[in-house]
Amino acid sequence: MNTSATLSNSMMLVLLIGASDSVAGALATLLIFAVVMGVYGVCMAPLRSRLSSQSLLPVSLVLAATLTGCADIFLQRSAMQWHQLISLYVGLIGLQCVVLEHNGFFRQPVRAPLNLCGLFAVLMIVLAVLRELIGQGSIGHHLSEHWQGLILFSEGLHFATLAPGAFILLGLLLAARQAWTRPADLPEETHHP
Amino acid sequence: MNRTNSLITLLLISALGIGVTWLVQRSNAPQIAAEQRLRESRKLLDVLPVDAYDNQPLQQPLTLTDINLSHSQLLGGYRASKNGQPVAVLLRSQTQGYAGNIELLIAIDAKGRLLGVKTLEQNETPSLGGHIGDWPHGWLQAFSGKSLSQPPDAGWALKKDQGQFDQIAGATITSRAAINAIHDALRYFDEHRTALIGSAS
Repeated sequence: MNTSATLSNSMMLVLLIGASDSVAGALATLLIFAVVMGVYGVCMAPLRSRLSSQSLLPVSLVLAATLTGCADIFLQRSAMQWHQLISLYVGLIGLQCVVLEHNGFFRQPVRAPLNLCGLFAVLMIVLAVLRELIGQGSIGHHLSEHWQGLILFSEGLHFATLAPGAFILLGLLLAARQAWTRPADLPEETHHP
Repeated sequence: MNRTNSLITLLLISALGIGVTWLVQRSNAPQIAAEQRLRESRKLLDVLPVDAYDNQPLQQPLTLTDINLSHSQLLGGYRASKNGQPVAVLLRSQTQGYAGNIELLIAIDAKGRLLGVKTLEQNETPSLGGHIGDWPHGWLQAFSGKSLSQPPDAGWALKKDQGQFDQIAGATITSRAAINAIHDALRYFDEHRTALIGSAS
């Protein structure tokens, strides 16, 4: 994967940071993401071989916009409380489809895309659980109108629900992963007098 | 594949996309609007217990006269009734807080007692006066059951101003504004009682 692909894949960071301030929002985003990406992949598969590369971009744009628009309307219809949490980010999912298409994401063998999406989903859920727990002291608030969520303590550290707090948490998670995967038998630096 | 074919495919897909989006939007719009109305009214009306009224107060706004009160301004009023009997009048009142306007929804029962006060909008300092926007809010709940004569006029002020109410910690101006707005609303209710309650009483 070249630099520009890595750079534009980092567009996912907006979704990851923005929509992960509550478990309900993260789950709703993941649901829409999965549905839109799935339908988009299926619809684009027969078109890709038939269209020239110049007209592929506008077609993918139109298709992504249609799918995202419809998904947004269906979400409003069926789960208004979820829609209020993530309405800002639904449009970005469509944009994400176009960016990934442009990078040749859908033309790779099936394993790599699945890996990226799986990583995204896991990170999203872990971040959401941590942020909601630290920020509001609850898990699953707003998930349903009839269930208040699991409330563990009432006053949380509000900072965790804001974007800077999310970046810090993400950094800590990455650091933890690096510490975990680093080979344990690194030679330690010692001072010899 | 030549250019024309690509163009035709693009046009077809665009038309299809616009058509599908339009159809989906059209078929779902009424339900979405209804759901939005319901959520909005529930948000406004949770100062009243759900079983206290059986009409749609927001569908029948009252026409208010002399809306400029001494410390606040009334933005609107609604009447809640049960079995045709008026049970409460809801007044939307706007007053000047510390950092901007505060909008309160004040629920008064037919006998002139306060049922509840809810903050609809505020721009007060977060974690000081901004606490007035919490729902339910302990300080605002303390007003339930009060009326124009209970306590008397002099009591409708902060303890700091020789009244009988505590203030929100660190937010004297916000608390004073809220008390004055609530007092104004009670006085208005008293003066326009028949118009607000209607002929049914």
